[in-house]
Amino acid sequence: MSTTITASGPLTRWRTIDLLTCAFLGVAFGVAYWAWGLAYEAPATAVSAGFPPLSALFAWPWLVAGIVGMLVIRRPGAAVFTELLAAIVSALIGTQWGLTTLVSGLVQGLGVELGFALFGYAVYSWAPLLIGGFLGGAFEAVYEWYSYWTDWGFGYKIAYLFLLGGSVAIFGSLLAVGLTKLLANAGALAAFPPGQEARERAAV
Amino acid sequence: MTERAPADAADLVDPPGRPSGAAPRGAGVEVSGLSWRPYGRARPVLHGLDLRIAAGERVLLAGPSGSGKSTLLRALAGLLLTADSGELAGEVTLDGEPERRAGSVGLVLQDPGAGVVASSIGRDVAFGLENVGVARDAMPARVAAALAEVGLDLPPDSSPATLSGGEAQRLALAGALVMEPRLLLLDEPTAMLDADTAAGVRAVVADVVERRGLTLVVVEHRLTGWLDLVDRLVVLDGDGRVVADDAPHDVLAEHADSLVRQGIWVPGAPEPQPLAVALTPMPLASAGVVAPGERVVTGTGLGVERRSRRLGSTSRSTTAVAGADLSVAAGRLTALTGPSGAGKSTLMAAVGGLLAPTSGHVDVAAPLLPGSGGSSERPRPPHGWPSVDLARVVAWVPQRAATAVVGRTVRDDVLTTARALGHDGSDAETRADELLATLGLARLADTDPRHLSGGEQRRLAVASAIAHGPALVLADEPTVGQDRLTWAAVMGTLEAARREGAGVLVTTHDPGVVDRADHEVALVRPPQPAADPEPERRPLLARVGPLALLVAALCVLPLPALLGSWRQGLLVLAVELTLGLVGLLAPGPGRRPEGRLRGVLARLAPAVVAVAGVAWSAWLLGGRDLEIAAGAALRVLCLIVPSAFVVGFIDPERLGDHLAQRVHLPARPVVAATAALQRLQSFDDLWTELMTTRRVRGIRADHGLVRRGAEAVAVTGGLLVGALGQAAGLALAMDARGFAGAHRRSWAGPAPWRLADSLAVGGGLAIIGAALAARALVA
Repeated sequence: MSTTITASGPLTRWRTIDLLTCAFLGVAFGVAYWAWGLAYEAPATAVSAGFPPLSALFAWPWLVAGIVGMLVIRRPGAAVFTELLAAIVSALIGTQWGLTTLVSGLVQGLGVELGFALFGYAVYSWAPLLIGGFLGGAFEAVYEWYSYWTDWGFGYKIAYLFLLGGSVAIFGSLLAVGLTKLLANAGALAAFPPGQEARERAAV
Repeated sequence: MTERAPADAADLVDPPGRPSGAAPRGAGVEVSGLSWRPYGRARPVLHGLDLRIAAGERVLLAGPSGSGKSTLLRALAGLLLTADSGELAGEVTLDGEPERRAGSVGLVLQDPGAGVVASSIGRDVAFGLENVGVARDAMPARVAAALAEVGLDLPPDSSPATLSGGEAQRLALAGALVMEPRLLLLDEPTAMLDADTAAGVRAVVADVVERRGLTLVVVEHRLTGWLDLVDRLVVLDGDGRVVADDAPHDVLAEHADSLVRQGIWVPGAPEPQPLAVALTPMPLASAGVVAPGERVVTGTGLGVERRSRRLGSTSRSTTAVAGADLSVAAGRLTALTGPSGAGKSTLMAAVGGLLAPTSGHVDVAAPLLPGSGGSSERPRPPHGWPSVDLARVVAWVPQRAATAVVGRTVRDDVLTTARALGHDGSDAETRADELLATLGLARLADTDPRHLSGGEQRRLAVASAIAHGPALVLADEPTVGQDRLTWAAVMGTLEAARREGAGVLVTTHDPGVVDRADHEVALVRPPQPAADPEPERRPLLARVGPLALLVAALCVLPLPALLGSWRQGLLVLAVELTLGLVGLLAPGPGRRPEGRLRGVLARLAPAVVAVAGVAWSAWLLGGRDLEIAAGAALRVLCLIVPSAFVVGFIDPERLGDHLAQRVHLPARPVVAATAALQRLQSFDDLWTELMTTRRVRGIRADHGLVRRGAEAVAVTGGLLVGALGQAAGLALAMDARGFAGAHRRSWAGPAPWRLADSLAVGGGLAIIGAALAARALVA
């Protein structure tokens, strides 16, 4: 990426297509989240038989929506909106965590959002991705300490936080960057900065 | 050019109580020096275009594919930058003003249903009124008037999903008319419709434009039918320049031949002839195995039931096909015709093994069966065949050609199935190159197929389907909306497959296709199961608003901090279950509702696994103490049980109404989210279509965890691309109805707070109360 293109106009002035793209991404990811919830339990339970915090290694996909939303839209609130909507959709279809999934969606989105806010919504490279991904995972871990892992000792809790934060920062970012690239190359992001970057590269 | 400033649009609205005596009239339009180059394109689509349209004038805009007709239409609507980005210069004014009042330009898009935002047609028409802040009680009359004006005499609470293509276009027109536009823009409004339905839509347009004195600009490449309705015919060339602009019959007298050469359907011109497609035979092709005239496949007594599911309501079952017989003969073209909703596509999919019929059976000719076919037992029906076996025999061109893309390049795409079958010798390569050359795709061989135009994608889809020589070729409305050139290419390719001995089955409304078919099979709409005369009683929870349900279910959030032992957890769980079961009661007159408890149990089933996981880790850590494990399990159950009861009763659209009006969440994100939620079913359909495409192309991962995982990622990518395409279309439709400036909008749906809502929230608080009591009283 030679130059970073930021969103057009004042960053807080969301265009209709910004809102709809976030919303459609949120709904599509919500369905995927629901499906992942079905697939997740068996492997997560298997690895946690030895060391329970390892289940974090299967929880990172649930933060990808917010990261993709932010990478595509590049406006304040994009991560929270996309992630929260994905959580609502998966809860309405019916996940094992019910409507409390909303809280997860909110804290995960806020964590990711914070990573990009630290850079003034002007940088979309690895630094904010790693920080935002880590914070999103860490926020979720803290919420889960409270709601699910009450009985764990502090060592396990810290291990879980770093495993979840780290895997979101690395795997979550990689998947989100890959998906964004796929969408840009497919010509689906014509109205957005990543699509413009891809097209300007192709135009050279 | 000045784009409409979103913040100001709401201030430019006519007051809702406008005296009816002031009849609306058309606006004069002036385009000067308009240039548009999308980023990534070397040449501009429009270059210094000038055009004047007088108030009340009716203009038909024609030109070859890629001439910028749709682009010009978007520029007139002030929506060029809505769903694309690029360099824009020049100016478009309406009556001399660059600014537009929200809704002063009405836009109807090609794809029926692309602009639907709501779950009922009344609500959908009211969308523009909401955006400009019309009071709720003023809406029903205006909505009813608009629906009546377009002749859509359905109850306002009908679902837009059940509309036929023609009805959907009338709905889109009503949604534009309710905003009192002065300029009406129609982007190929009848391209997807059959001839009779198209004539009906044109008649409505003619009537409305005449009565209201609107300025009209229509883009079409089938000129027949529109010519008598317009005053002027403007023709653009491939470079986006005006090459002809005069009274329609004068333009045709001079330019008819060149228009026909560019692919435009001109009345009086001879029907196009299918392209002559000569192909090198495929050595291992299944086409030609069955003798010409013999049956390739026979479907007997086929029935297909469809279940449609919507969030927040019960699923409904519809009969798509009932007791249908259909056989396809080798070397013959069979046309499947019938009105929209007759189940043509579904029957075709059932005969081709793309879906499992609910009743009846499909028999494939013995020489085509997978394996040796020597066994005496009844052969497996094609819907159970593995991907490769199906692909060898069957090919499918879906109506949405964009979803048929599976290759990274155009040439890859054509060769995909031959490679999957292991038939990738030089014959396959030669054949692929012949197909690409004949269909005018050779220069695009190394291009990413997703970047092709609609017509090019359609030609590619047909070429890729027949490249490996399948015995049964299924094509769903292959010529709809295509220009003459693509029509000739598509029909030429299908006829080449017929010559090779394939049985070709085509669903179509196109008389040109039916004329060339060997057989025509006409379907009628299957009878639907009668609606129950006695309405179901509604459970108590169904009488509660969505916001109260959400709040009640979230009352569980303090529980992890409150519950200290399994006894406390058990007590709270008992309270939750009691409250939930009370909520499922359905007192009053009417039929007993079914499946209440089943729904709750179905939602709890995955939770059991999650609870077991938490209990396991607590047991492992808590010194293998069963009491600690039980405490952890019950705590998690307490968190999720209330949701299992309420989730099925939350309707997303009503939740949006409540969140915006009661909680005062920002209006536009809420509307965007609920509009996207309306499309959940279409995501489901798209997923199925993408998977079916992979299966029939021979690349579906039938087994293997890693291959299936990789496939899920690939299809998710395709789903996202499709979803974002829908978002772009919807953004255009919504901005055309004033959504960009709708920061202070009104709401057609009320958000009342009733006694039932207070009781539900009381129930939620009772759960917290029970936890506090348990803490105080139980160890």
